[in-house]
Amino acid sequence: MKYLSEYRDPELARSLVERINRTVTKRWTLMEVCGGQTHTIVKQGIHEVLSDAVEMIHGPGCPVCVTPLEQIDRALHLAARPDVVFTSFGDMLRVPGSECDLLQIKARGGNVSVVYSPLDAVQLALSNPDKEVVFFAVGFETTAPANAMAVWRAKELGIENFSVLVSHVTVPPAMVAILEDPDNRVQGFLAAGHVCTVMGWKEYEPLADKYEVPIVVTGFEPLDILEGIWMAIRQLEDGRHEVENQYVRAVRREGNRPAQELVSKVFQPVDRGWRGIGTIPASGLGLRPELAAFDAERKFGLEGIHAEESPECRAGDVLRGHLKPYECPAFGTSCTPENPLGAPMVSSEGACAAYYNFGRMQAAARA
Amino acid sequence: MCLGIPGRIVDRRDDAGLAVGTVDFGGVRREVCLAYVADEVDVGDYVVVHVGFAISKVDEDEARRTFEVLREMSQLDELEWMAEVADAAERVSSPVEVAP
Repeated sequence: MKYLSEYRDPELARSLVERINRTVTKRWTLMEVCGGQTHTIVKQGIHEVLSDAVEMIHGPGCPVCVTPLEQIDRALHLAARPDVVFTSFGDMLRVPGSECDLLQIKARGGNVSVVYSPLDAVQLALSNPDKEVVFFAVGFETTAPANAMAVWRAKELGIENFSVLVSHVTVPPAMVAILEDPDNRVQGFLAAGHVCTVMGWKEYEPLADKYEVPIVVTGFEPLDILEGIWMAIRQLEDGRHEVENQYVRAVRREGNRPAQELVSKVFQPVDRGWRGIGTIPASGLGLRPELAAFDAERKFGLEGIHAEESPECRAGDVLRGHLKPYECPAFGTSCTPENPLGAPMVSSEGACAAYYNFGRMQAAARA
Repeated sequence: MCLGIPGRIVDRRDDAGLAVGTVDFGGVRREVCLAYVADEVDVGDYVVVHVGFAISKVDEDEARRTFEVLREMSQLDELEWMAEVADAAERVSSPVEVAP
């Protein structure tokens, strides 16, 4: 496929690996922010072929993984209501709540529907006027424009039986939380390419400056990631700390302006809890007060639902890079993709599932 | 979740005030909302699509340029490797020439 398969060329990849290995004078520690990048890195074994040159810490950029338990429980509560059609992206269905997951609610007769686009949920509301259609609006800045458009469209078309359960998160505050952590080991970041197609990279410039870390906006194919790592390593070796863009075919410095405009018409920054990590100030998006009619938490009075995380799951340590998935006592024993304790074992972009599915735990254990 | 797939716009139209179109992903076609790229794309252009929305136009010149740089780098590596092999061969053969 054009603009996809050519970025998987093994010969070019080998040449980049050699270049990275030749460039380093010491072993550096980088974090890839996005779960999609974690998936590629672990699947292709990039962290293994580069293990002498760089340690890759897998960041918290998997929305499925960081959606707080409380929001999952609220979703489960809604999905079990007979008057509700609960709609969601497919990857949220197996995320464990306090008692079960959305798939189990569906098996018990709950009306849970997987949608490809949030606009499909609006369409469902139009064609089912006697039902309340709720969409689980999760994701980072990449997904926010799509979810914002669904709310805006429902408003424009005067659809009253549509609402959203919002659990949006944003990347820069999470990077600040990682950098401010006294135990932080991250020396450079691969920033999430698709988040930056929407937001651009202006907001990362003060971070690179203040914390003196290289930040390289990076794509998702193996060659993109290798080139991103190479660019970050060169900065570290030169003693530079700038924002650079590897993903030039899709990302511009100012991002996608029309998308940013609609997102800020529909959403505003709010404090948000990250599963396993806790609340990070202004790290999420919530509906603006003038769109409260579309807020499922308000419409169905869900504010009273609270939840406690399982103490056995060390997802928070994994998401902050303090623990490799295979170092968790539950990894592969009481926690597997079939019976996950925490969300990083559910999503294909979760670090735990990536290590489990690609059999990396033994090789990694040797390292 | 932030998966974005590049595809080619094959047609575009207006759906009750919303710019939409059909995008071809290597043979699989899907309807995609083009509202966020409407001012900069035409039929035939490539866009990055995420959950049914085009979020960015693929800059084909930049894509080509990145690729050329990578290819050049790889060829350069090959040249360096050949030079190293030639040097090594010379080091091995030169004492023989000097010996008599």
